[in-house]
Order: sequence, then C-alpha cells, then structure tokens
Amino acid sequence: MSEKKSGSRQVPGKVLRFTKGERLSHWVHAVSFFVLLLTGWGILSEFSRPVLMIFGGVDVSRILHRIFAVIFVVVVVAMFFIKDPKYHWEWLRSAFRFTKADIAHIMAFPKEFFGGHGNYPAQGKFNGGEKINSLITILGSVFITLSGFIMWAPNVFPDQLVRIAYPIHDMSMFMMVAALMGHLYLSLLHPESRAALPGMLKGYVSEKFAKAHHAAWYEEVKNQEK
Amino acid sequence: MAKKMILVDGSKCTGCKACSAACKEWNDLPTEKTSLVKSYQSMADFTPNTYTYVTFEEKYENNNMHWLMRKAQCFHCDDPSCLKACSSSAISKTDSGFVVIDQDKCIGCGYCAQFCPFNVPKVDKTTEKANKCTGCVGRVENGLEPACVKICQPGALSFGNYDTMLGIAQARLAEVKKKFPNANLYGQNGQAGTTYRYILLDTPAAYGLPENPSTDLTLYLWKDIIRPIGKIAIGGAAAAVVVGVAINALKGNYKNDSHQDQHPIKREEEM
Repeated sequence: MSEKKSGSRQVPGKVLRFTKGERLSHWVHAVSFFVLLLTGWGILSEFSRPVLMIFGGVDVSRILHRIFAVIFVVVVVAMFFIKDPKYHWEWLRSAFRFTKADIAHIMAFPKEFFGGHGNYPAQGKFNGGEKINSLITILGSVFITLSGFIMWAPNVFPDQLVRIAYPIHDMSMFMMVAALMGHLYLSLLHPESRAALPGMLKGYVSEKFAKAHHAAWYEEVKNQEK
Repeated sequence: MAKKMILVDGSKCTGCKACSAACKEWNDLPTEKTSLVKSYQSMADFTPNTYTYVTFEEKYENNNMHWLMRKAQCFHCDDPSCLKACSSSAISKTDSGFVVIDQDKCIGCGYCAQFCPFNVPKVDKTTEKANKCTGCVGRVENGLEPACVKICQPGALSFGNYDTMLGIAQARLAEVKKKFPNANLYGQNGQAGTTYRYILLDTPAAYGLPENPSTDLTLYLWKDIIRPIGKIAIGGAAAAVVVGVAINALKGNYKNDSHQDQHPIKREEEM
C-alpha cells in the first residue's frame, strides 16, 4: 500500500482514486469482517462448526469475535475523523445520494454483471452499483453492530430486545455476505471492472480506466488539478 | 419409555425445601450462599448450580395470611423453546418427556436461556455450559422417580405415567377447588403441555407465572424466516457469480482485456 510522494492526484497515466486513509478503512473493514464471519459462522450452523478449529476452537473464537468486533467498529469510525476524513465523509454522503446517472447504471448493471454491455452515462467516483454495495455495507454494519452490542450483554438489556437482536444480526450478515460475493466477483473475476482493483491496493487507477468507467469524476479531478 | 408426568400439588407443599436439598445431593451440586429473599424464600432465581428452589408468596385475605408455595424447576415442555433456540443440537427431549442438555455439545451461547418463557436455563460463566433441571433422567430411565419426588415428605410431588397422572391431577383439582376456588392445573396448554404440572391454589399471575407461556415470535422469525431466506440470498449470489464467470469465459472476455479501457459510449457504437 505504498503511495506516491507527490501531492498531486495525477501521475503520468494514472489517477489517485483512494487515499491512504480510505484504503486503510477498506482493509481494516475487510479483514475484520472475514475474521468475524468465520468465527461467527461456526456458531450459526453446526455444519460449519469445524471452521472454528482454524482459530483454536469455540472458546478462542468467542474472544476473537469480540476483539475483532471492536476493531471493526472503532478503527473504521475513527478513520472518519483522523485519516483523510474529507474523503470518508464524501463517500458516506454519496452512498445516500443517487443521481439519474446512478439509476441508469443500476439498470444496466445486470447486463454488465453477466458479461454484456449496458448503456449508462458518465459516472462519478462511485457508480450506481458501487453505491448500492456501499449502502448495504453501511446499513449492514450499523445493524450488525447495534444487535451485536445487545447480544454481548444479554443480562443488561430487556429480554425482548435481545431476542430481536439475534435475527437482526443474522439478517445483516446474510445481506453483507451476498453483497460481498458480488463485490469479490467484480473486483477479482469480472474482466472489465477488475481494473478497479489497483485503486484499492495502491490507490491509483489507470487514466484510461478512470475515463471509461468514472468519466464524471475524472473530469472533476482534472479540473481541480488545473 | 412411556410419557411421564410429575404432579406438583400446591395444596400439599409445606415449603420444607427438602426437594431442593435432594436435588443438590443427587446431582452433586455445590451448595450456595442463600439469604431470605422474601418471606421464607431463600433463592431469588435459578443458578448454574441450583436446579430447583421453592418460591413463597404471602397472600392476605380477610385478615388471614396464607402462603402460595411453589417448587420451581424446568417445566420440561412438550414443545420446548430452548430446543428450537439451541445453536448446537445439544438439547433433546426424551420419550419419557424430559428436556435434557448434552453438556458435551453445549457451547454456552445462552440462546436457550434467552428464549425460555420461564427463564430456567442458566449459563455457567466458567464452564460456558447451560445448566438446568435434568428431570433426573438417569433415575427415570432406570425405573426410579426423580430425586425431588423421592424425598418429598408431605406427598406434594408424585410421579407416574402421563395418562394415569392426568386423571389423578384432575380428580385432585376438583377436591382442592372446594377450598381454593381459583385453583387450576398449570402447564396444560402452554408449550404443548409440560411434564412438571402444577395444582396452583391461585391464578398463575399470583405465583408470578406467565398466564400463557409460549415460544417468542422472534424465534420463528429468526430460525424459520431469516435463516432460510438468508441462505437462499447467499446461494443466489454465489450462483450469479458462477454464471457471470461462465458467460465471460464463453464470450472470451478474459482474453480481450482491452475492453476495460473502452468508453461506454464507444460500446454503443459497437452494438
């Protein structure tokens, strides 16, 4: 995750899409999500109980699930205030703001997803599909955190609240895992969209990719550079 | 083994707590520090090491006081919420009607404790295992009555085959009703009938018991709605990814990586 020393968002042929803070948030979220998923999945179903052996059994998993839950929440929330807060808040705002161009992208999305070519206008930094993924991540994280907090201290909260927390915790997980599958496919296995991956690894995407997939954002960056 | 029933006759209980002591002895449970919680009641709730205790309510009527005493333990429901809530298939029901927790399978998640309408199971924080009355299944399966029934001196506890006991319970209730008009048979309806059944001298509410014990709807929402739908959602997403990869591979999209740099508008021209 090295970043070019230059303060500019443009190096020859490349554009900076994600700052160090944004990438750090993404990867802290991703790694802790995986640990939480694996340590929780073994509790969810007996079929997957052996998964807990990766971590050394149910007793270690119980502790790890709580440690990573704290990292999952505290580190990512802290990033909104300490590392590149501007870009974090911009992302958060954009996820709740769907433009006509975003809707058009979402309509074209199924075709694109299955290897076809849909028509959609120039997209911003986040296209319609990415905004949906962001929205699922944001809402899922909020609900899974609140329900998890209640489940952590079942004796403190009213019984009825604890009882409803269990299905909410599971529902948030199912939503996020389904979205994650699409996310992994688009970032690793989709012939066109996987060109976005370097942006989350080193921060930069190729200028060609930026023009092709996020033209509105590319124009914006170029105008700022002037 | 035939279905069993234990009748707890509130009109005969003297509150001696011998049942509680016998339970500790048979199940080899350590004693705990007790205090007078209210009236003559010495335990406020179940603990991982206390499977049964006697509740005392003092009822005042026409300048007279009489006790409502009840031996509390797991009801051993016919349709147990705890069994449905258990994450580990650790809870099962015997043919004789007792609900037991397999300590080897239990991981101490506490879901059973959360969904029990009577708040019976308690999770031991050190062993991370849920504990509750076992119904002395080891004794029952070998033709003996549970330890609490065996010790009961005033004959408030009796044990036998379900049908026989139900007849005895109804006959006894008719008798008790003459003196206590509010008397009722508790454990008949809720949770599809319970193995421990009570002749209460007053309404369930007077004993602090739920009028209609039932499995919480959130448990059905969780296990019968959210989970199956969630699994379908994940299965659907996985299938979509497989189909996506297959179509891209068939179209040869992976060979022609220059696609990624094309502008969408150019694509329109292609089409």
